[in-house]
Amino acid sequence: MSIFEELQQAIIDGKAPVAKELTERGLKEGIKPHEFFPKAIIPAMDEVGRRMRDCEFFIPEVLIAARAARGATDILRPLLLGEESIKPAGTVVIGTVKGDLHDIGKNIVAMMLESAGFRIVDLGVDVSPEKIVDAVKQQNANFVALSALLTTTMVNMKAIIEALVAAGLRDKVKVLVGGAPLTDAWAHSIGADGYGKDAPGAVELARRLVSAA
Amino acid sequence: MRDLLFDQGVEFPCGGQGRCRGCRIRILNGKAEVNRAQQERLSPEEIANGWRLACQCIVEGDLEIELRQWDAAILVDDTVFAFRPRQGLGVAVDLGTTTLAAQLLDLATGRVLAVSTALNAQARYGADVMSRLHFAVLEGGQHQLETLIRQQIGALIEQLLFSAGKHGAEIADIVVVGNTVMHHFFCGIDAEPLAHYPFEPAEGGLQTFRSSALGWKHAGDPLVRFLPCLGGFVGSDVLAGILATKLTEHDDLVGLIDLGTNGEIVIGNKEGLLCASTAAGPAFEAAKISMGMRASTGAISQVTVNRDGVHCHVIGDGAPSGLCGSGLVDAVAAGLELGVIATSGRFSKGENSWMLAPPVALTQNDIRELQLAKAAIAAGIKLLMQRKGAKELTRLYLAGAFGNYIDRASAQRIGLIDFPPERVEAAGNTALLGAKLALFSLDSEDGSYAGVRRRVEHVALNADPSFQDVFVEELAFPQARPTSIN
Repeated sequence: MSIFEELQQAIIDGKAPVAKELTERGLKEGIKPHEFFPKAIIPAMDEVGRRMRDCEFFIPEVLIAARAARGATDILRPLLLGEESIKPAGTVVIGTVKGDLHDIGKNIVAMMLESAGFRIVDLGVDVSPEKIVDAVKQQNANFVALSALLTTTMVNMKAIIEALVAAGLRDKVKVLVGGAPLTDAWAHSIGADGYGKDAPGAVELARRLVSAA
Repeated sequence: MRDLLFDQGVEFPCGGQGRCRGCRIRILNGKAEVNRAQQERLSPEEIANGWRLACQCIVEGDLEIELRQWDAAILVDDTVFAFRPRQGLGVAVDLGTTTLAAQLLDLATGRVLAVSTALNAQARYGADVMSRLHFAVLEGGQHQLETLIRQQIGALIEQLLFSAGKHGAEIADIVVVGNTVMHHFFCGIDAEPLAHYPFEPAEGGLQTFRSSALGWKHAGDPLVRFLPCLGGFVGSDVLAGILATKLTEHDDLVGLIDLGTNGEIVIGNKEGLLCASTAAGPAFEAAKISMGMRASTGAISQVTVNRDGVHCHVIGDGAPSGLCGSGLVDAVAAGLELGVIATSGRFSKGENSWMLAPPVALTQNDIRELQLAKAAIAAGIKLLMQRKGAKELTRLYLAGAFGNYIDRASAQRIGLIDFPPERVEAAGNTALLGAKLALFSLDSEDGSYAGVRRRVEHVALNADPSFQDVFVEELAFPQARPTSIN
């Protein structure tokens, strides 16, 4: 097995210490930091996404796999800054909307997007429209990803989109929404650019919007 | 069609928003259009076979449809209790999100003179408190809900009087208990603060009305008390439950749990009690389960394992047509025992479903739904016990209908209630019993609802940063215990 295959397996199995050790060993052997992403981390998290979709993996397995992937990316990110040719796929401002404290789903989406090469600005939970607008400006973001788990709080997504319009930022960003009570039809009705049915769906959507841009 | 079918007893779990599949009907004769919401929730085959979401259909001509008629068996209370006699009649009302139960008492003898029950008429606007809050707060329906419930309880009291052959003039007091959302809807308090973080009531105290102010016509115009909430979503139904199970009289640490869409947990002893609520979702009511149904004819309500394999008990002993909450818990416990289901919740051999009794099968997704529900309850119990410094509880009371039907060994096997079955006791409708007890001690300090309430502290689990970590830890099922097969 190549070191990339071993790293993929370590991430899928959720073995963070092994993932870190393999990453360090690979760097010592002369592998360029950016190579780890297309050859190990992205395919590993795509596989995790597939297993999640097929009900093979559930929240705990996905979280420990994402933690293992983060073990590798934490080592690689600082090194990537030196490699000028490598740009993130996009910058995503992500958060759970005001009035809502659920963050497990939002965290999974954030970690999967990060493993897929996006830069993540995580604003946490109970996030106001103003906070989103400020973050989009400061971080020069091109994606806003919003989560809500309650039917009574999902309406706050609309307020965020309106705030982006009012700040003149709506054309600059793509707005992705997700969460258990949402539907595709509802996402369109509030003017979002897309609805992610699950975490792998959110990653697919972000990738599609990047390539369409 | 929602309005037509609701009157026939059909339920709309999501409040008729087209977000769930709970109100599926099949068109046998006639025409019903398919809109976008139905395309999202129904497969092309289902649509081709005539399946529709009733809440999304507009009736434009004669239709012949197929639907599942569910009977509700509403739990009342016939516990014998000690009391201090007083004059007149009393009415105790348990105002539940799903069901209502009311009893008329002779306060001099403590005898129950009449009982009446009903499905909560508000349920057409959502089966659980969150979807009903959505309707009240975002669709401006709160006043409508208030009118509905006041009229319905008024009618229930009329029924009680009629069947006991009594007059309204004899009623001395009326006590109503219910969760915080029901409290707000009944009392006419703005429910908006309950719809978002921090989910704290603006006004959760005792509410007192003259019965005439509620539109009820009783000659004596008795006082109606809606007992005070404990905090967050934990209402006077739980306060009444504490009274009924006498938690404040125990020396050892004990607990009370009401398993439902919102699970409520109380832990403590005579030194003081902690309470909390935790959002378990609809799995215990089998609402998002692929072949889920209410505990009525045709439901698999028990699953046991013996030497010959799996045995399913079907309510009514006929052909099985679905799985109710207690059957779901049993089925998963049996799957774990047999090694069909791994502790991660995954089917061991990668199957997508497990046939229990044709045509009823348990799917991988059903197990996931149950994992979410049980983890929410188990995490809540764990955190409250930690805060109380409790290593174990000597007794755990299960309130409500589900607590009555659930198998205690199965509940332990799946890690929902990690206590030996002999310490767990089904306590019945403790809300109704507590409301009756309150009728006898309305003004006294000792042993009254007011005295008990001061000893209960509410814990906001959603604001506890460790809640989500513990929740994730609790998603997996426990390893097998060496003694659990017999």
